[in-house]
Amino acid sequence: MAGTLAHKDRAAAEAGAWLARLQGDGLDERDGLEFEAWLGAAPANRAAYEKALSVWHEFEDGADAILAELSDRTRRAPRPYLPRRWLVGAGGAALAAGLALAVLPSAVMQASAETYVTGKGERRTITLADGSVVDLNAESRLQVSFSRGARRVVLGDGEAIFDVTHDAKRPFTVAASDRVVRVVGTQFDVRSRKGHLTVTVARGKVQVGPAGRSGTGLAMQLTPGQRLDVAESGRAELKSVDPQETFSWRAGRLVYRSQPLADVVADLNRQFDRQIEIADPELGKMPITGVIVLDDQAAVMTRLSLMLPIRSVPSERGLLLLRK
Amino acid sequence: MAPSGPSERRAVDSPLVEAFFERRENLLLFLAARTRCMATAEDLLQDLFVKLSTTDAGAEVKAPAALLYRMATNLLIDHVRSAQRSSRRSAEWRRDTRVQLAGEDVSQEPAADEAIISRERIRLLADAVADLPPQMGRAFRLHKLEGLSQAQTAQAMGVSTKMIEQHIAAAVRRLSERLRP
Repeated sequence: MAGTLAHKDRAAAEAGAWLARLQGDGLDERDGLEFEAWLGAAPANRAAYEKALSVWHEFEDGADAILAELSDRTRRAPRPYLPRRWLVGAGGAALAAGLALAVLPSAVMQASAETYVTGKGERRTITLADGSVVDLNAESRLQVSFSRGARRVVLGDGEAIFDVTHDAKRPFTVAASDRVVRVVGTQFDVRSRKGHLTVTVARGKVQVGPAGRSGTGLAMQLTPGQRLDVAESGRAELKSVDPQETFSWRAGRLVYRSQPLADVVADLNRQFDRQIEIADPELGKMPITGVIVLDDQAAVMTRLSLMLPIRSVPSERGLLLLRK
Repeated sequence: MAPSGPSERRAVDSPLVEAFFERRENLLLFLAARTRCMATAEDLLQDLFVKLSTTDAGAEVKAPAALLYRMATNLLIDHVRSAQRSSRRSAEWRRDTRVQLAGEDVSQEPAADEAIISRERIRLLADAVADLPPQMGRAFRLHKLEGLSQAQTAQAMGVSTKMIEQHIAAAVRRLSERLRP
């Protein structure tokens, strides 16, 4: 019984693959001969193909009506989130891991808009409809809406690495903080935490400018190896960095160069449940240089205590950092 | 109708005609992948039969099966071109005969070559497309519903043609499982 099911399953998958292959632009007789061999290989193959074909033809007949129905839904789209339409990423694993992937009714194109949210300690890789890939760091929120002429992404509080596919006709923009990052095809990191924005470019050119007409400040052009820091006050600073260090969170590492302990703790608090508090504000200003591997919190705390003269003790909320 | 009965066979069939009857069903399924419906595939199969009966069968055909699929492929290419022309015509015709009833578009008459699919079924089909994963759904919509070629779809989405083929394959599988239990 199980064998028959597996058999049918395989036939169904192969039937789909064949129907797709036969739509290919360079169809020729070799496709035909191989197709014939496959048909004859198992009785289930022919049945599966005929079933797929009848559904395929139904979509052909109904194409215009289905398109009209789908665009009607897009136009009606009343609420930003319909719980009914919450999808489970790639088959369950994503939701289990805490990634909520909300899809608007318009999700199936035109101006599709989707929202991706990650929780504490969570990192997600998302492939967008245009093939661009986004790595989303912990506790981040990303809204994506694509239309014919534009690819728009809004990064709420959070951090993401964008690997954008080239499409000169559809510029890719990331709105974060009160700035807009505009690119054509490139790889860069955007971090927007509590009003502090940094944009780090690894490849291509990126323009960062004020969002909307009310925004203040000039647009800046960033090239690979540059990072723009925009403080909450609006003060901007351009630095030369190794982009791979900035991108290292994607591989579960945090790299710091003379960064205050308070910043490092804020990052760690997005990764681990047990929240860390710094007892003394002066301690929070202590600079850290080094790499922190995000495996488990106890190990991270031990390594941290080797880098700085600090120790951690359990507290009501989680951990309290004290001077050694 | 397409040839199928033994009466249509000549006393002494050329190897090409023989090869045709041996794989008639396979050729039909091959053609049907690119036609609107099975009836159109049958028509094309008929055309194929006419073509091969009129070709000089005196010449030895080394690989009759390959030749048949080559002929079938050429027929499909011609067919798709003329189908595109006629579907544009019928779309215009439909626009002309459309009337508004209580804000709803109503066709006075369905196009003759179109099967009538119920409103309910259209909703089901649209639901199934809407529930595909976003990228897969987009590929299916552009390629199957909007009629772009796989290469055009790949260009529109900024991914490889191979990727589009994989999306379509997966979409077909999901859709046929869902819509035909």
